[in-house]
Amino acid sequence: MAPPLAAVSSSSPLFSPSSSRPLVRRHAPPSYVSMRTRGRSQPAAAAAAAESSGSPLLEVRGLTASVKETGQQILAGVDLTIREGEIHAIMGKNGSGKSTLTKFYLCKTNRDHAHCSGTCMFNQVFVFDLQVLVGHPHYKVTGGTILFKGEDLVDMEPEERSLAGLFMSFQAPIEIPGVSNFDFLLMAVNARREKSGLPALGPLEFYSVVSPKVDALKMDPKFLDRNVNEGFSGGERKRNEILQLSVIGADLALLDEIDSGLDVDALEDVANAVNGLLTPQNSVLMITHYQRLLDLIKPSYVHIMENGKIIKTGDSSIATQINEGGFKSIALV
Amino acid sequence: LPGQSEREKGERKRIRLHAADWARPTCKRLSWACSQSWWAGPSSFPSLFHLSASRVSRPPTATSTRGPSSLPPQAARQPPGRRGEASRTDAMSSPSPLCAASGSTALRAPPPLLRFRRPAAAVSASVARAAPAVSDDLVLRIAEQLEDSVTSSSPLLDPLRSASALSLLSTPWPTRRSSEAFRFTDISYLRSFPISLPSRAPDLAPPASPFPSHVHFSDGLLVSASGAHVSSLADLPPGRARDRAAAALAASAEFAHKDLFYDFNAVGARDVVVVHVPEGVKVADDPVQIMFTYTNCGAESMLMSNPRILVVAEKEAEVAIVEEHFGAGEEGGCYWANPVAEIIIDAGARVVHSYVQRQSFAAAHTKWTVVQQDTSSKYEFVEVSTGAKLNRHNLHIQQLGPETETELSTLHLTSQNKQIHDLHSKLILDHPRGFSRQLHKCIACGAGNSIFDGNIKVNRYAQQTDAGQETKCLVLSPKALVNVKPNLQIIADDVKCTHGAAISGDLDPNELFYFQARGIKTDTATDALLYFFGAHVIKRIPFKPVNEKALAQFKELLASSRQMTNEALLS
Repeated sequence: MAPPLAAVSSSSPLFSPSSSRPLVRRHAPPSYVSMRTRGRSQPAAAAAAAESSGSPLLEVRGLTASVKETGQQILAGVDLTIREGEIHAIMGKNGSGKSTLTKFYLCKTNRDHAHCSGTCMFNQVFVFDLQVLVGHPHYKVTGGTILFKGEDLVDMEPEERSLAGLFMSFQAPIEIPGVSNFDFLLMAVNARREKSGLPALGPLEFYSVVSPKVDALKMDPKFLDRNVNEGFSGGERKRNEILQLSVIGADLALLDEIDSGLDVDALEDVANAVNGLLTPQNSVLMITHYQRLLDLIKPSYVHIMENGKIIKTGDSSIATQINEGGFKSIALV
Repeated sequence: LPGQSEREKGERKRIRLHAADWARPTCKRLSWACSQSWWAGPSSFPSLFHLSASRVSRPPTATSTRGPSSLPPQAARQPPGRRGEASRTDAMSSPSPLCAASGSTALRAPPPLLRFRRPAAAVSASVARAAPAVSDDLVLRIAEQLEDSVTSSSPLLDPLRSASALSLLSTPWPTRRSSEAFRFTDISYLRSFPISLPSRAPDLAPPASPFPSHVHFSDGLLVSASGAHVSSLADLPPGRARDRAAAALAASAEFAHKDLFYDFNAVGARDVVVVHVPEGVKVADDPVQIMFTYTNCGAESMLMSNPRILVVAEKEAEVAIVEEHFGAGEEGGCYWANPVAEIIIDAGARVVHSYVQRQSFAAAHTKWTVVQQDTSSKYEFVEVSTGAKLNRHNLHIQQLGPETETELSTLHLTSQNKQIHDLHSKLILDHPRGFSRQLHKCIACGAGNSIFDGNIKVNRYAQQTDAGQETKCLVLSPKALVNVKPNLQIIADDVKCTHGAAISGDLDPNELFYFQARGIKTDTATDALLYFFGAHVIKRIPFKPVNEKALAQFKELLASSRQMTNEALLS
């Protein structure tokens, strides 16, 4: 246990000695990371990986951000590091704007986005949104850095960020009439192939690539001919997002409330798909309210966000605690 | 004359008055008017010409009373040709050889103004009732030319021709102020050149067709018609098809919602292609491809073509037709295409109609599509219009029985400057439980103008109708103009009708972002979204060769218009 502990507590900014998180030091680092079987990698290997330290995929240091229009601050110094092979979960109250942080990852220009998680920033004084990280146009970064694989994300266009390996699944995916799912996936895959210098795939070859993945997610193959998300229920849209993730591939997947709207079986399928995609090289950052997703996709770290900061980090036992006692049970005690 | 009804007498009298009262300086004017009264005697004309040459007059204004008018002294000399009057059909079949000999079709100078002779004495009330308001110079001129150009036509067309000719006498040239139907459409392009009419089909190789049944019209003249259920009107053997065609054409004579372009076609059509599918025959998978090619012969005139097709689908039959209009001569040909398509769908039948218009960018294209749907019939219509400088489509659908299904999809793309695309559609529902969906999409780039007037009339007995209409327009440049007038006139009280119109200057930013979030660059995403916006409609054409060709052409036009906008921005 010692090596992971040491690695985690000394070098990770997660446990930086800032006064805002006294709890962190007291809290035992996730001691069961290496023991828990995730069904995808050996515990020993995981320990070894942690020790050799998967290079940080995402490093957020002291990120502060505010709403562009009103100037209201929504992120007040977020520090987060996600390494390769780790699964992180962020939980928080409704309206704490977890989703917005992910928006910052992707969005750059000033446009109105329907996938904003909603009333978050206007209800609370210091709300923060995870979507700030994605680059949402509503928000601008006022301080701090976001590094993805060592490159500064703030200057990158959303498509560049995506091509770099960042995948964000939307909380409320919109429908695009006129574009079929198949065409959309083909375009996305070819964009990536173009970037890495590979020849573009033709529709027929691509079909043979896509159909096994569609079957694995237990989706009807005919849906590929339908327009993107047209006529899909919320749960089906989420499944579509996961299909896109599995077809396109990503180094860091940001899953924004992927469990909302899915029934138990669908949730299992989705979780299996996500687990199947995980390798020691890529990571997942999930945003969720509920324990059930975390039961299926076991996180290595769970963060609690409130008022623009990560106030607590721990393992999935925190999630259990919240599930039983509510957010107040883990309040700064 | 014995055997003539009171009404006919009155009409003839009225026409005579017209002819004499405002004799135009062109002899052709009179010959036109006279022939419309079906006076065949050539001997009448010299005197009239003589008459007319000596006096010119201005056409009366609309407010003046036209009917009861005194005969000016000269006009009292009635054309002796009246004696030559025989039955209508006889007269029609020999339309004044003098007219044919009348010579060139060049434009005459407009008559100089002269004092207008006010009518004085009254004539019989019947004449007064039947009196039209005004007769338009230009309309008559064109009508005359058309009438002259048709040297022989099937007698089945006669009722239609005469009815249209009659109404042309009193139809004014529509202007934006006088005619609601042309409120947004500027049809002045049609007046920019004199009209010339094709004398014979040009010797161009017929375009290849991937379908076994195909028809080829060249400049409005029927060149070839081959297929199991396809025939030209003149070649129809006596039988069911011929009877139906005759009945249909006679009924078209009474079409109440027509306008002058419909009449022009009726007068100028030389032959009609009839697609008649007998009862129970289902050939929807083998479409009849009707190709209309156009050329322009002279630079100084506009070649006007009036092709006409008639589709009759008997009970429980299924047929598909693909109409394609394109220029066959050199690029940028200037011509006026004025086609009319009439479709009669009997009970339980289904017609799939795909219409692709990619005329030359200097051409004018005014089209009528008149559809009648009987009980439980289906009509699926897809239109893709990208060509022509002035493109006007009048789509008229009349429901004749309950439980019909109507699906209309149109795509208009104005990619050139000053291009005008217009769809005026009218769906009249008189019977219960009809289902209809209309989707209109248009992309206005450059300085084009796109007009949509979608009218759905749900009348009193059309209860439980389910009608939906949606129009989506993209205005991609600051100079583009879009006029959209969705209108539903609902009298029934148990219906489900929706209509929506969305005009946006930009693509939906959320959609664009969705593409970006998956790694697709903004430029590629914009192009893709524009392409898919149009492809949404184009893909509804069920036949692959047509579909693919239309998609490819659409893509090309989008790319070229994007290039144009980029250049404009850079300069």
